[in-house]
Amino acid sequence: MTAHTNSFGEFLKHVVLLFGAVIVLLPFYLMISYSLKSPAEIESNTGGLIGSQQIMTDRRCIKEGNPPEQCEMRPIVYNYTAAFKEAPLLRYMMNGVLVTVSIFLIQVVVALPCAYALAKLRFWGRDVVFGLVIFCLLIPVHAIALPLYIMLAKAGLTNTYAALVIPWTISVFGIFLMRQFFKTVPDDLIDAARMDGMSEFSIVWRVMLPTAIPALLAFGIFSIVAHWNDYYWPRVVITGDRDLMTPPLGLRMFKSDLDGNEYGPMMAATTVIVTPLVVAFLLAQRRFIEGITLTGMK
Amino acid sequence: MFRSRAYFWFVAPAIILMIVILIAPVFVAAVLSFSDYNLGNPDFNWVGFKNYAALMKYSSYKKMFTASLFYVFLVVPISVGLGLGAALLISTLRFGGELYKAVFFLPVMATLLAMAIVWEFALHPVVGVVNDVLRSGCDIGWLHSLLTSSWLGFDPAQSWYGNACADDFPLWLGDKRYALGTIAFIGIWQAFGFNMVLYLAGLTSVPRELYNAAHMDGADSAWERFKLVTWPMLGPTHVFVVTITSIRSFQVFDTVEALTRGGPSKSTYVMVYAMFEKGVKQNLLGVGSALTVVFLAFVLILTITQVWFVNRRVHYA
Repeated sequence: MTAHTNSFGEFLKHVVLLFGAVIVLLPFYLMISYSLKSPAEIESNTGGLIGSQQIMTDRRCIKEGNPPEQCEMRPIVYNYTAAFKEAPLLRYMMNGVLVTVSIFLIQVVVALPCAYALAKLRFWGRDVVFGLVIFCLLIPVHAIALPLYIMLAKAGLTNTYAALVIPWTISVFGIFLMRQFFKTVPDDLIDAARMDGMSEFSIVWRVMLPTAIPALLAFGIFSIVAHWNDYYWPRVVITGDRDLMTPPLGLRMFKSDLDGNEYGPMMAATTVIVTPLVVAFLLAQRRFIEGITLTGMK
Repeated sequence: MFRSRAYFWFVAPAIILMIVILIAPVFVAAVLSFSDYNLGNPDFNWVGFKNYAALMKYSSYKKMFTASLFYVFLVVPISVGLGLGAALLISTLRFGGELYKAVFFLPVMATLLAMAIVWEFALHPVVGVVNDVLRSGCDIGWLHSLLTSSWLGFDPAQSWYGNACADDFPLWLGDKRYALGTIAFIGIWQAFGFNMVLYLAGLTSVPRELYNAAHMDGADSAWERFKLVTWPMLGPTHVFVVTITSIRSFQVFDTVEALTRGGPSKSTYVMVYAMFEKGVKQNLLGVGSALTVVFLAFVLILTITQVWFVNRRVHYA
């Protein structure tokens, strides 16, 4: 093969991949573009990426009896302020952070000691417990959602933060992952800690936890991405109470409230919800890809 | 002494949570599937296999199984194929590979529900960008003749594109002939980057020497090298990617709930959405539980098949 055919091949590959990239990026481009443009520009598909940003009048603001000069603004300002005003977007975001962070912390508190015991302690029934973990790995979350919902409803817990968090407090996948990781930690390290008179409890949190940071980081990314983006479970257990809604659920409510002309604010809200994870991903691609492909093992 | 008992305090919380949160619900669903239980009404009756019989009998459940299977059969091969294709192209690039990888992985990260809403705008029949672009293609002579194959002498009116140009482009999510395909398109858009990453990892584990050996044996073309070395060496990755994509696409919910609600005329009435609609929205927990049991059975069959394949077929080393 000559260098000439090689670079032609390279060129062709780029053409194919670029075509794919355009399709993959299309909705991201549209989302940002719509969030910047005026309703008229959105409907006529004009104005390029950012639109002409001509001053527009907020009709709703006029209806509320404000003087017209207070209701004039640029489309970008209109879209983003409307997103935060019409939908309690800030509240949704706070809920999202609260729920995802609590889930992750509880998962670690439950899984880490269990994984340590399974990897490093000898006790009667250890293999049975590990077998139970493997068995639970087979149970898909969507399959147990309905009975869990019934159990939570019977306990009077639907429409609470608890309902959003409880089903995820146990991550058998986390236990499995941490156990595999702890298997690779040398026994000498633990023996030395025991010699120093550390209790098993402080071995878990002061010796094992620091060694497990890389695995925990990957697991944390996996867990946080999954629960920030989760729509199914919040949709099942939160009915109507807006104060408890997570970002995807809030966005869905926003969509059903629309009077058809509010694409701009809607896309502004979408952009705000999607951006944190996308930016974090772009900053730490390798870690994210590692963390999310972990699910592969599930 | 405390030390000898420490394991108990480490393991007990996890065991209790596993039993209450993961295992008990399976039994609850199995038991309730034989009843006409609903929330708010303390009395209920045992109805035997009536709920399961209903799943066999009514046409809406037939449509449900059709929609679910059709979705899986659309999304799995295409997203696995695109994932493999992208991985092969990217791994042989001289520059820019990391950039494409990041771009194709973006949909995996982004909130699916949010992106589904954006796709819905893009696919809007009147103001949407997709139909706008397709329509403008009709006026570009060479593109029109390329897409309608009229440059090969075919009649433009015989082709999909020619017809759509003459008439109008589809309503996509609003047309029962296109809705499931459109939902599947969004599923593929979202999933193939994930498969690509798994294949890229698989490709790095193919030993270089095998390519040299294949070359010595006269496998000169890229296609022959792929057929002889790459494809078989990716065996474990194939099994893994296909299973995980099947299970995930079987669980499709977000796009359906937000964009079509199972319609038009139940063409996108997939299983998890049916479970949600019957169980949560209509409070028919008996039927919902029966659906849950059937769904669980499907997923377990997929998983067990995977384990069987992994143990049997894919040990080359």
